[in-house]
Amino acid sequence: MPQHAYKYSAAKLLRHGLTRGTWPRMWRQPEFKDTYDVVIIGGGLHGLATAYYLATEHGITNVAVLDKGYLGGGGSGRNTAIVRSNYLTPEGVAFYDRSLHLYNTMADDLNLNVMFSRRGHLTLAHTDSALRTMHWRAEVNKLQGIDSSVIDPSDVKKEAPSLDVSPNTRYPILGALFHPPGGTVRHDAVVWGYARAADHHGVHLHQQTEVLDILCEGGTGPEGKGPGGKVTGVRTSRGDISAPIVVNCTAGWASLISNMAGVPLPITTHPLQAAVTEPTKVFLPTVVVSGSLHVYVSQTDRGELVFGASVDPVGTYRVNGTLEFTEELAGHVLELMPGISKMRLMRQWSGLCDMTPDYSPVMGFTPVEGYLVDVGWGTYGFKAGPVSGETMARTIATGKTDEMIAPFNLSRFTEGDLVGEKGAAAVGH
Amino acid sequence: MIIVPCPHCGPRNSVDLRNCGEVVNRPNPDTATLTEWRTYLYLRENAAGWVSETWYCRAGCRRYFTIERNTVTNEIRDQS
Amino acid sequence: MSSHRLPPQPGEVIDRSTVINFTWNGQPVIGLAGDTIASALAAQGVDVFSRSMKYHRHRGIMTADHWDPNLSLQVDDEPNVRAGTRLLAEGMQVSTQNVWPSLQHDVGVLNKAVGRFLSAGFYYKTFMKPKFLWDNVYQSVLRKFAPGGRVHWKTSTHGAYDKRYAHPDVLVAGGGPAGMAAALGAAQAGASVLLVEMAPELGGHLCWGNDAERAALDKLTTAVIAEANIEVMTRSTVTGRYDHNWVAVMQGDHPLAPERLVKARVGSLVVAPGLIERPLIFSGNDIPGVMLSGAARRLINLWAVKPGQRAVVLTANAEGDAAVKDLQAAGVEVVEVVDVRTGAMVASAVGKSRLQKVVLEDGRTIEADLLVTATGWTAPTSLLNMAGNRPVYDPQAARYFPENLPEEILTSGGIAGNGSTDELIAHGSATGVLAANRSLRLRHSRRAATARSRSPEGPAPEALTDTRTPLRREAHPECYRASTHGFVDYAEDVSSKDLIQAAGEGFDSIELMKRYTTVTMGPAQGKLETVNAAAVLAESRGMDLADIGTTVWRPPFAPISLGALAGRIFEPVRRSALQDWHEAHGATALLAGQWVRPDHYGDAVAEAQNVRNGVGIIDVTPLGKIDLQGPDVAKLLELVYVNRWESLKVGRVRYGAMVAEDGVVSDDGVTGRLSENHWLMTTTSSGAGAVWEMLEDWLQTGHPEWQVHVTPVTGGLTSINVAGPHSRQLLERLVSNVDLSSDAFPYFSVRQGTVADVPDCVIWRIGFTGELSFEVHVPSGHALAVWEALLAEGQDLGCAPFGVEAQRILRLEKGHYIVGQDTDGLSKAPTAGLGGLVKLDKTDTIGLPELRAAYQREDLPILVAVQPDDPTVLPEEAAQIVDGQTATILGRVTSSRHSPTLGRSICLAQVAPQLAAPGTVITVLMADGRRIPATVQEHHAHLDHQGARQRV
Repeated sequence: MPQHAYKYSAAKLLRHGLTRGTWPRMWRQPEFKDTYDVVIIGGGLHGLATAYYLATEHGITNVAVLDKGYLGGGGSGRNTAIVRSNYLTPEGVAFYDRSLHLYNTMADDLNLNVMFSRRGHLTLAHTDSALRTMHWRAEVNKLQGIDSSVIDPSDVKKEAPSLDVSPNTRYPILGALFHPPGGTVRHDAVVWGYARAADHHGVHLHQQTEVLDILCEGGTGPEGKGPGGKVTGVRTSRGDISAPIVVNCTAGWASLISNMAGVPLPITTHPLQAAVTEPTKVFLPTVVVSGSLHVYVSQTDRGELVFGASVDPVGTYRVNGTLEFTEELAGHVLELMPGISKMRLMRQWSGLCDMTPDYSPVMGFTPVEGYLVDVGWGTYGFKAGPVSGETMARTIATGKTDEMIAPFNLSRFTEGDLVGEKGAAAVGH
Repeated sequence: MIIVPCPHCGPRNSVDLRNCGEVVNRPNPDTATLTEWRTYLYLRENAAGWVSETWYCRAGCRRYFTIERNTVTNEIRDQS
Repeated sequence: MSSHRLPPQPGEVIDRSTVINFTWNGQPVIGLAGDTIASALAAQGVDVFSRSMKYHRHRGIMTADHWDPNLSLQVDDEPNVRAGTRLLAEGMQVSTQNVWPSLQHDVGVLNKAVGRFLSAGFYYKTFMKPKFLWDNVYQSVLRKFAPGGRVHWKTSTHGAYDKRYAHPDVLVAGGGPAGMAAALGAAQAGASVLLVEMAPELGGHLCWGNDAERAALDKLTTAVIAEANIEVMTRSTVTGRYDHNWVAVMQGDHPLAPERLVKARVGSLVVAPGLIERPLIFSGNDIPGVMLSGAARRLINLWAVKPGQRAVVLTANAEGDAAVKDLQAAGVEVVEVVDVRTGAMVASAVGKSRLQKVVLEDGRTIEADLLVTATGWTAPTSLLNMAGNRPVYDPQAARYFPENLPEEILTSGGIAGNGSTDELIAHGSATGVLAANRSLRLRHSRRAATARSRSPEGPAPEALTDTRTPLRREAHPECYRASTHGFVDYAEDVSSKDLIQAAGEGFDSIELMKRYTTVTMGPAQGKLETVNAAAVLAESRGMDLADIGTTVWRPPFAPISLGALAGRIFEPVRRSALQDWHEAHGATALLAGQWVRPDHYGDAVAEAQNVRNGVGIIDVTPLGKIDLQGPDVAKLLELVYVNRWESLKVGRVRYGAMVAEDGVVSDDGVTGRLSENHWLMTTTSSGAGAVWEMLEDWLQTGHPEWQVHVTPVTGGLTSINVAGPHSRQLLERLVSNVDLSSDAFPYFSVRQGTVADVPDCVIWRIGFTGELSFEVHVPSGHALAVWEALLAEGQDLGCAPFGVEAQRILRLEKGHYIVGQDTDGLSKAPTAGLGGLVKLDKTDTIGLPELRAAYQREDLPILVAVQPDDPTVLPEEAAQIVDGQTATILGRVTSSRHSPTLGRSICLAQVAPQLAAPGTVITVLMADGRRIPATVQEHHAHLDHQGARQRV
């Protein structure tokens, strides 16, 4: 942290408690300038992490992060906060493992306790073919040095005693992929941690600032947009900003914002729903995922069960949520844990997910010079937030696509080189 | 649970049907360039507003039909 | 414990003749029928019901209804029971939740001592170092302090829950005077009505009102009961309103189910939930003995419980004034009435396990054990929020009002404004009439759009215009916080000071503040806290409350049990007509997708060997079967398969593979031509449904001019494969009208005939096992007879059933790949080795451009047969193929078995193209870390690659 940063510690907590002094702001309310070196659209985890690494790793601090609402109000604040690195492809594993590593040291790096809980992550297999995929993942994971293995039902029971592992259920648990380093992180704290640290390094965070257009010149499309052109800035609800680099770090609206630069994206937007129960005494120590039953569940330190599912089948920008989501969810959870039927669902919500055809993101440069994307994060954006910020910052600073994100380039959809994560990521929490 | 107006079965709960996504035009597979083909495969309008989309009445008449739905409000209007 | 029960009250709901025994923290106590858990305990003199989450402060009755933050109790094996509304039942074991070891001596109270250090978000600022302590100690300690009750997951079971669909023209949420009147108005206008009320009785605030109000209630109740068009649900909650007026009701008064989910497609939704009384923020506002006016009035009037001895009443409205009268009538000494409307105010309350004194703003201190507050209302606009509506704050009335509602939602009662009982009833009634009119018009238009048999009779009703006289917005002082700080969120232990601190740290929008402080995140989900939180934020930012906005209320309106949401879990399994036989004959069941199948009957290897050497039969019913009829079937097949079909002759069969539009292999199977215009297609088991719908899609939207009928017959035909050198001999004994000789019925042919006296069977000469085999498709009603006849007739030939595992061994020996196992989500035609099959010169085939592109590429993985050099080593399926001693992955084993015929391990594997040449030695990484050599084979088939055995 730089000199002017206000460091948190137990001692500070003690002093504030005794003196009842006020805590400083976590981030400033910066002046709105008309020129920045880099404009990042989207004040969520990905945008803030990119700004943070630009400032800390590359000394690029004349950066604005714009958000039409408040920080972390989109997917960053609506996800179920699960992290893991037991993916299917070597590229995916390496990428998410770097992210997990960054999460592991984040509290110290950002001086904010993001409450990373390495509680272990179980992906249940209910069929022979699912079990085969778990073995596949475990083998790839082990080659990359990831702690990941297939365990049998009796060991599943040890990790999560409330699961019904008897063989006579409709979806018997035949085994599970066990990933001890996986777990949960307090998602809002990650946003605040990056925001606070980025702010301390000089980045401007502009909330309530909506991007209305991306300004381009020289492109083949209308208004100089589109392939062959280059970015000159953005038009916002608070005025124009000129900038040679504009980064789209949005979710839910990524394809519509990208259209502003004349760069269509292979994205359809679907809601992803989640729900939480009333708190009870803690009984579920690990994260449990079932692909066949489209459900994942973990219990917070406050005792609430947090549930998620796969994306809604109908594409929409509506985040009202549906009743049938909660019905299916409850049915599937009770298949796994029949003893918890008296727990009550307290709240359901949903967020928007930008789904790509191969369940992998779109990252890096585009046919418009100076316009970069970090989008298409589907249901897995939270896990990848730190490494995305790190690699996007490196790509911006060096002007060269970072090796880790090369497979995620937009051009793969015209060249037919799709990424093979679909099998692992479809319900991959 | 929205109501989808099947032209044959009348208004039905959406679980009775399958949403097949927005209507896209398939290029001639014999003559299309790969770029045209992959545009057809992967690019969608993904509009926030009215879209033409196909539904399949899987628990009813088993017909495919097209309606217009507003993706922001879930309002539906019949195209016929 | 002394009794605080009052003499009989005129509106009481208790039955003094029926005593109910229950236990409270292990001690036997009594209550009366009609009591809630809370009223029974209060009648016994219980002051402290719980300890607070963070500081473990004593907490007592606050609202005495569903939203009471202090009345979440454990009842038997059920956690977080709302004691303010749950009716007492015989034998209940009731206990506090958030205490250890007991309610009186709770060690969590230590938190209280350090409370000043536990400011908003304190946990984000500490516990970071040393890291190992966070990983191993802090976290588990934090988890120990989780609030809430205990889930008895070891012993509880999913009970009997059912669901119900309802189609009321009008659903009224809230059974107070306005809601009851709305139900009556709508019913009398010809609408069917569902009236839903959270409390055990209809009536809302009339229930605990004065004589005139109770008289009005009696009249309404009589009318509602007499109205046949109204169905009433009490102890029930409208928990959610979803798009197109899909409304969830959690029914609590069903005689059998503890909770029942009612899913209602509603014409018009009338939202009339009344108002929720809002606490005031001041120091000590959570001490037992501080309660809201509604709580005090209900305790006295409904349950005849005296809430205290000496009371101070803080009032800003008529409800508070009424509370003064009720308290006096109940014999409570009202020592001071603090009237906000005259500028008076309470400053703080003092006490620990019970209120001791009240300090007023004017400096006086008054000894009292009861402080009743009536300082304003929260409009429960949840259902309106769910419809996208954002209520607007009116500072004169000090509450929020809905505006610009959609047509299908109407409001009445307190949420819409104030009025006398008569005015509320009149407004409700007019709202009901309007709701009925709109819903009847909607019903008419829906029927007009439905099948003829349900067409409406006559024209749609004329649309009524909304001529209702709006309810008044009565002036009310804005009172949110006294001069001191106190709790905003009782369940979360969040104070106004925490909120101001959070705003100062930058969490200065309501959503950020909520996330940082957890205000409104407890079980009441903001019903009591949201407006106060927004008011504190407005105050700290120097803004008007109207400009702050509130958090959006999400469903459910009140928590719902997982059991009720799940209902009766209906996850059917498909069974072939022979599955009972399999299970009766020792088959081990295998769940494969939707189907349950026989994995083996004891010894899969012996079953496989019996096929190679004699004859076996297997039930392969899950194989997808689609009957295709019409003159254009061949055109359809040309489109959906990568190979040619026009030339297939009647009686012949061809293997076909399908790819999707992106070129990825999607399904395969054999299809036979039974007659000129009649074909039978087979698909993979898991792909049967998708292929069927895909065929319909192409026929309906791509080529509506083609004449093809598509009929799925997977379950209608039971498929039995008869395999092995003796299969012809066996079948000849049962088939008379088909010549089974090799000349008359060559390999890859299909015939129709009679098998074991069952006509209309389809007999295929195909096989997955590599042996001479016939697949018989029998009308399922006769399947068992054919199956048993095969076994009986084949006894001397050693005919025995074989299961899925034996078939897997046999097909792998033969090198047949399985789509989805040996191929994956990226596998294109060249990977699967379809080169000889694919016809790139067609003008249209699904995925044609990608097929052509795929054959231009040289980097696609190739499926090959592989044999470990050491025949005893059996690689795991999914074992990785690596580059020597490195971690570079060059492929993976997709199928692997020990071959009893060859006496060695055999595999299929996807490998990088540079490894695909026959004879290449590859390195397989075993699960135990060993790297073993294996050799790529020339053919996929490990056995009889020329097919001599199946062509005999």
